[in-house]
Amino acid sequence: MDPGLIIFLFLQGLVLGSIYGIVAVGLSLIFGIARIINLSHGALIMWGAYTALTFFVGYNLSPLGSLFIAIVVGLSLGASIFYLILRRLIGAHELTTLLATFALSIFLEEIARLNYGLDYRGFSWSLGVVKIFDYRLTYSSILAGVIALSIVIILTLFLYKTRIGSALRGVAQDPVGAYICGIDVNKIYALGIGIGFGLAMMSGVIITMYNPTGINPYLGAPYLLKSFVIVVLGGLGSIIGAYVGGIIFGLAEVVLFPLYDYLHFHSPMSMTLFTEFVILLILLLIRPYGLFRR
Amino acid sequence: MIKGKIIDHMSLIIMIFSYIIIWMLKTSFPEYSQMLTLLLYYIAIAQAYNIFLGMTGYVDFGYVSYFGLGLYGMALGVSYASQNNLSSSEAIILGMILSVILAGSVAGVVGGIALRLRGAFFAIATIGLSQALRYLIEGAKIWGGAEGIIIAKDLRKLFGEEGFSYATITLPDTGIFILAVATGIIMYLIRISRLGYGLLAIKEDEDAAKVFGVNTTLYKFVAFIISAVLTSLVGSMWTLKVTAIYPPESFNIAFSVEFIVIVMLGGGGTVLGPLIGASIYSLSKYYLGVYLPGLQLTVFSIILLLIVLLFRQGIVGELRSFLYKHEIVRKIIR
Repeated sequence: MDPGLIIFLFLQGLVLGSIYGIVAVGLSLIFGIARIINLSHGALIMWGAYTALTFFVGYNLSPLGSLFIAIVVGLSLGASIFYLILRRLIGAHELTTLLATFALSIFLEEIARLNYGLDYRGFSWSLGVVKIFDYRLTYSSILAGVIALSIVIILTLFLYKTRIGSALRGVAQDPVGAYICGIDVNKIYALGIGIGFGLAMMSGVIITMYNPTGINPYLGAPYLLKSFVIVVLGGLGSIIGAYVGGIIFGLAEVVLFPLYDYLHFHSPMSMTLFTEFVILLILLLIRPYGLFRR
Repeated sequence: MIKGKIIDHMSLIIMIFSYIIIWMLKTSFPEYSQMLTLLLYYIAIAQAYNIFLGMTGYVDFGYVSYFGLGLYGMALGVSYASQNNLSSSEAIILGMILSVILAGSVAGVVGGIALRLRGAFFAIATIGLSQALRYLIEGAKIWGGAEGIIIAKDLRKLFGEEGFSYATITLPDTGIFILAVATGIIMYLIRISRLGYGLLAIKEDEDAAKVFGVNTTLYKFVAFIISAVLTSLVGSMWTLKVTAIYPPESFNIAFSVEFIVIVMLGGGGTVLGPLIGASIYSLSKYYLGVYLPGLQLTVFSIILLLIVLLFRQGIVGELRSFLYKHEIVRKIIR
């Protein structure tokens, strides 16, 4: 194997991992704050991708601009969903919130299907390619990885350096204690879920920067399944854990795929996914609360 | 096994009575026969899942795996029998045995590992399991891989050209009816047994149940295995109806959710819940498909949200708590 390929695969793994990371961070954040596993995360990613597509095709707005639309729409959607539905379910059996978010996910997917149809769509936002030895990586995908990283840094700074951020962390730790300290717990839940929804939609936009084709109403499902593995890897509720888990996952994927291909498996992609889920099961066995959680 | 006065077992009688009515409707109105088979299929799976989900409160999103393994068991049995010139009845029995072995052994491994986890972690682990199975079958090209198994030809060979409709309609329909009755009765027997009370205690508060001497690990494990094996049998009958199976459909998480919705709609842990839940679900799914084609999922998602918000304990569960002060109602509605 030539060293060029190894460096290329490493870079590609980092970019892919960074994207997986941002997807998982949103899921982990909502669980950390409200103890809700948001099964509509995949549908929100899909809506983020459609946002990028619609604004690019209709208004010639680059996906960078769509990022702002995505966070605004996500925040308001998340807050309204919280006040409409999830507020009544905080503290209920986990099954209830799982079903509620699942229903939301079907609803969002169906609206997208009725609106855009089942066709695979795409757009071309080309910024050129960078050559690494003999291999090509598009600038927009590198940008996607960098933006994902910066969003996670901004989020971490927000959570650890601002007053609202510490309120969010307080509610995550102990809602009753936070309430006694005078924090409006419901507003914090609404904000936390809003940020989670916004992150999901932004990661949808970022995904289109990495791969601007194949946008369809069921785009989010594979990302949701993978981010389950990642959040468990990083520890449900941990932001940095989720991001690092994503990086590990991305690197593993770019290594496993060529490996299974080299071993002449019938479908290397399926074997890669199989390995990922086996890793999940083993992890749950040995470290049920994640690798990075004390 | 069944003790006490008749009135104490009113819910079992109501259940069996409803099965008889469904069967009579099915034989008298052939045009609705397939719709009623679909209803019985949902009832059977819901009763089987109720034994685990309804009684323990553990959400298994990978529950469809046991249904899928049932599908594969029968398909493998039928194709093996056709290659080795076995008789048709041997093929069916072999298929059912394979389904039970496959689902039972996987459930044994999963139960042993995943039942140590609780709540969200259990749900995620089971999602991982069903997807791992699917991708293993596709990726390593086990059992035909992504191309699936098509058994229509084998069924024609085993049952003959004239026996084909018997093999794909009469036989599975009868099998599903028997399974619906059997799962209902098994669910009832578990509900009134020591095992059932132990499981309900686990659902309320697992740690407290443990302190009071319930062997929680064993109880959960037993309920899990019984539930998985019964579902795999329903799957094995369903194979005969669809005659072709593919990994993405056999391990589709959407089916798990469908089953969860039915149990929740009727009321988890109740004996009559799956009957009510499956009736409402399958009839509304059928008629929404007829009158609002393309919109049924949208309508469903809204109905599901309303159920979650308004009927936390399901229809039967809510009815029971609403009328709880009347002793007679408490005995009839279980």
